[in-house]
Amino acid sequence: MTLETVTRAEVFFLNLPFWIATAIFIAAYALIVSEKIHKTVVALFAAGLMLVLKVLEQNEAFHVEEFGVDWNVIILLISMMVIINLMRPTGAFEYIAIKSAKLGKGEPFRIMAIFAVVTAILSALLDNVTTVLLITPVTLLIADALDVDPVPYLISCAFASNIGGTATLIGDPPNIMIASKAQLSFMDFIYHLAPVVIVMMVVYIFVIKFIWGKKLVTREELKQRIMTMNENEAIKDPVMLTKSLVVLGIVLTGFIFHGMLHFQPATVALFGAALLLLLSGTHEPHHVLAEVEWPTIFFFMGLFIIVGGVVKVGLIKWMSLQILDLTQGNMFATSMVVMWFSAFASAIVDNIPYVATMNPLIVDMARQLWPDLSGVQLLQHPDLMPLWWSLALGACLGGNGSAIGASANVIVVGMSEKAGRRISFFKFMAYGMPIMIITVAISSVYVWLRYYVLGI
Amino acid sequence: MRAKDLMVPLVEHLKPGNTLKEAANLLRTARRGEERAGVKALPVLDDHNKLLGILSIGDILKAIYPSYMYLMDLGEFAWDGMVEAFAKKAADKTVGDLMSTAVITVNEDSTLMECVDHMLKNSVKRVPVLNKDNAVVGMLYEKDVFNEITRAMFNKETP
Repeated sequence: MTLETVTRAEVFFLNLPFWIATAIFIAAYALIVSEKIHKTVVALFAAGLMLVLKVLEQNEAFHVEEFGVDWNVIILLISMMVIINLMRPTGAFEYIAIKSAKLGKGEPFRIMAIFAVVTAILSALLDNVTTVLLITPVTLLIADALDVDPVPYLISCAFASNIGGTATLIGDPPNIMIASKAQLSFMDFIYHLAPVVIVMMVVYIFVIKFIWGKKLVTREELKQRIMTMNENEAIKDPVMLTKSLVVLGIVLTGFIFHGMLHFQPATVALFGAALLLLLSGTHEPHHVLAEVEWPTIFFFMGLFIIVGGVVKVGLIKWMSLQILDLTQGNMFATSMVVMWFSAFASAIVDNIPYVATMNPLIVDMARQLWPDLSGVQLLQHPDLMPLWWSLALGACLGGNGSAIGASANVIVVGMSEKAGRRISFFKFMAYGMPIMIITVAISSVYVWLRYYVLGI
Repeated sequence: MRAKDLMVPLVEHLKPGNTLKEAANLLRTARRGEERAGVKALPVLDDHNKLLGILSIGDILKAIYPSYMYLMDLGEFAWDGMVEAFAKKAADKTVGDLMSTAVITVNEDSTLMECVDHMLKNSVKRVPVLNKDNAVVGMLYEKDVFNEITRAMFNKETP
């Protein structure tokens, strides 16, 4: 394999588009990491360059799955955002949060643990950013009511959302991207990732108990503030809430059976979003649609095109050969390298561009290993599956490693600062890095045991 | 009629280093012309009478309002005594941190219509009046403009 690598690599070095695409790719990722220019602007400009400089034809960027925009990911994200935007004004999320605090009976740590579990579950069903945006305002209110430090609550929410989001196809953008690339179903993710996420959450509760359990104390009379809150007052629009819950039920059922029914996840989500828009009776879809996080959506589109460019010129193939060379084709070693590298990489860079690059890289690796196979047989080769799960686990859990590792962390740190409690980069890392290492270690044992020892 | 003819000459002002407690006290006791004590906003000036910002009663309300309540409908879950507790915490914050810095100003020679133009387009009820050296010389209030309009309506000979 080594000799073959060298000969193939040599071909690239004579090729001008190879160097143009590689330069655009490296410059764009460096600018995204530096945060000197907004990441969406960088991604779109670099994508524009790929087209203008003829690395990619427009047709490839827009209509060829391998080289361009993955519309399955884009439409799934937009549809889920529309559903949440329609649901948000009903008060459902305030209700859940206040109800959770009351379940904790005003005990500071109990509330923290319940919030962590609720955040994890919500993050598995919605995206992490939305969950954190919905939970943290209530968290801050509860911390004020109990007169306790809000920072541990905020940090633990961010961690829980990143862990919980790992469990499902729709929980975290890396999973959405991986699912689309490898044609995996919602139930594949539940079957392969949810069990280890449950184990991690149990361990996580013990970890936060150890870190903060004894530090959080309040007075008896303050607990009464929580207990006298009436969660029913949160519900602003019961009719719309019922409609939303029905649609959410349909969408979740659709996700569970989409593999069997041969629907792509985006089909299910798009149908749900359109149905809820119809049921809402709105004559001004303008507002709901405007609230979609368009910068994120365009960031994805730009990245798909950038990565498409370097896939087309062969950079990704060359990188995949390097990794195979390094691990000598040992699949367990490759899984572990992918998982731990993904974790540390995702702690430093946004996990979305990271996974956008790794996805085609893993597909290329598969092509090297099984040149005769194609389609689902190739993408879901039994020996390749642990690699997809390792990528998902590493990229999602790596988000906890630093304050910039995941969008949820950025939001929590921002909110905390607005509330007058700055969380420094290193303070976040002091909690986040150990939690990342613990959860990735659990994942490593899980992948090793399940796929390489038990083989199930 | 120009801004300088109608403005209330500057008597009281705040400094960025003042605490909110001091600012609140001055807002309560400052006099505006011959009317009773209390103003709704005061300009914040540096040592050379240059305008740094303006602090209004609204800014003081914002100072005791937790930022997370902007994000969700949580008003129903506030408890009795919450405002008082936050007021105590906010008492020692400084004017410099809480003032509005994007201040609409007029020049002392601005015509009355120019003043009305600024007031309506920016939805402000009072504007600091600056002299040629950009020092604040007075405050022009919506109420005084209203009084001038009334005078014009009743007195046909006003030029």
